[in-house]
Amino acid sequence: MTLMTMIMKMSEGLGKTCAIFFLTVLFSLPLGMIVALLRMSKNKVVSAVTRFIITVLRGTPLMLQLLAVTYGPYYLFGAGVARNKLIPVVIAFSINYAAYFAEIYRGGIESIPVGQYEAAEVLGYTKMQTFMRIILPQVVKRIMPSVTNEIVTLVKDTSMAFTVSYQEMFTIGKQIANSQTSFMPFLVAGVFYYLFNLIVDRVMGRVEKRLDYYKG
Amino acid sequence: MAETIQKESAAILEIRGLQKAFGENTVLRDISLDVEPGNVVSIIGPSGSGKSTLLRCATFLETADGGDILYDGQYAVRGGVYAPKADLARFRTRYGLVFQSFNLFPHYSVMRNVSEAPILHGQNKDEAQEYARSLLKKMGLEGKENAYPFQLSGGQQQRVAIARALAMKPEILFFDEPTSALDPELTGEVLKVIRQLAEEKMTMVVVTHEMPFAKAVSNRVIFMDGGVIVEQGDPISVFDHPKEERTKQFLSVFER
Repeated sequence: MTLMTMIMKMSEGLGKTCAIFFLTVLFSLPLGMIVALLRMSKNKVVSAVTRFIITVLRGTPLMLQLLAVTYGPYYLFGAGVARNKLIPVVIAFSINYAAYFAEIYRGGIESIPVGQYEAAEVLGYTKMQTFMRIILPQVVKRIMPSVTNEIVTLVKDTSMAFTVSYQEMFTIGKQIANSQTSFMPFLVAGVFYYLFNLIVDRVMGRVEKRLDYYKG
Repeated sequence: MAETIQKESAAILEIRGLQKAFGENTVLRDISLDVEPGNVVSIIGPSGSGKSTLLRCATFLETADGGDILYDGQYAVRGGVYAPKADLARFRTRYGLVFQSFNLFPHYSVMRNVSEAPILHGQNKDEAQEYARSLLKKMGLEGKENAYPFQLSGGQQQRVAIARALAMKPEILFFDEPTSALDPELTGEVLKVIRQLAEEKMTMVVVTHEMPFAKAVSNRVIFMDGGVIVEQGDPISVFDHPKEERTKQFLSVFER
């Protein structure tokens, strides 16, 4: 197999790699905010349960979580394995990344000085207005570097989908590597991920720059 | 407003028997105080005397344990029991608070800092911005409308904060050590605008360590220590002829 055919074959999986990436970003970012708010809930039971779930999601391998979401329903209830593996894969990724984003959000929210809340309260902002207008925009700016970090990691983590044989780029590459006993597909995969992250870096850099109009 | 009653008193703010403790630590013991329209009341005293807590209770940032708080003769707090949330929200529109650390919104321009709250309260946007502009001009901040707080000096930031509080057209304005976070050379410009407001008969309660300022600007000076009002009266009697030993002691530190 020539290098060109390898690249062509692996490119066919790039769409699925992108699907995992974009859908996970789309779902995990807002889900993380919900988890963060539950984690900071004044209700001690809610916050303790959320905290426990976060520790499980962050404390066990993503690979294990992928297997659990994909095959768990079969072993537990005898349900069929999803025909389109994209669904369990995106669910597992979104939940896992939401746990990480939740902790980033929490750190960001807790870093906002209490004086911001007090100033808004005295000026008659409602709780909702305070959060949406005063707190959240400042949190977004503060957490941008950490979020970029997670997103860069996500690009590379999409390769983990091979554990459930979802035919994304890396899974195809691994299959070629096995059948051709060649290391070449892994190099190709490495270049793909690097280029992908180069774009991610550019985009996030631009977002950070747009938030640069103020300090503090 | 079933719980509120009209009263004869002309005071804008009335505090009666206010109590506040943080755990074991009693910070306010039975504080009573009236503020009449157009008056400037200064509260002085050593740190930890309860001055700031008193302001924070009056503005509902801290919850008092007991006592009454009335605005325009209407009960916001009665016997330590707070009026319903909706009523408290309406009481909030009657006062403004200027913080020691300004607490401007860093992601907002000066204009938006000053004009957003009135707009959220239903004021017409153009009118709110025009009023904001006039307040900024009065604060000597003409041309700073589009600046962000980080681009301003501490003194300018505090003047924006004063404009922001005034934009809500409060009946009474509270200052919580408005110059304590400022470099000495910047306190003057802030005290000047407060003095100007006093001349315009703005009702104000000022917690301050600036004794000459308190003496010059106040109708009444309150000396607090250990959570009680030790002495109060017109500035001359409190500053020049203090009756209480603790007042004398405290003031003597400033004379050196």
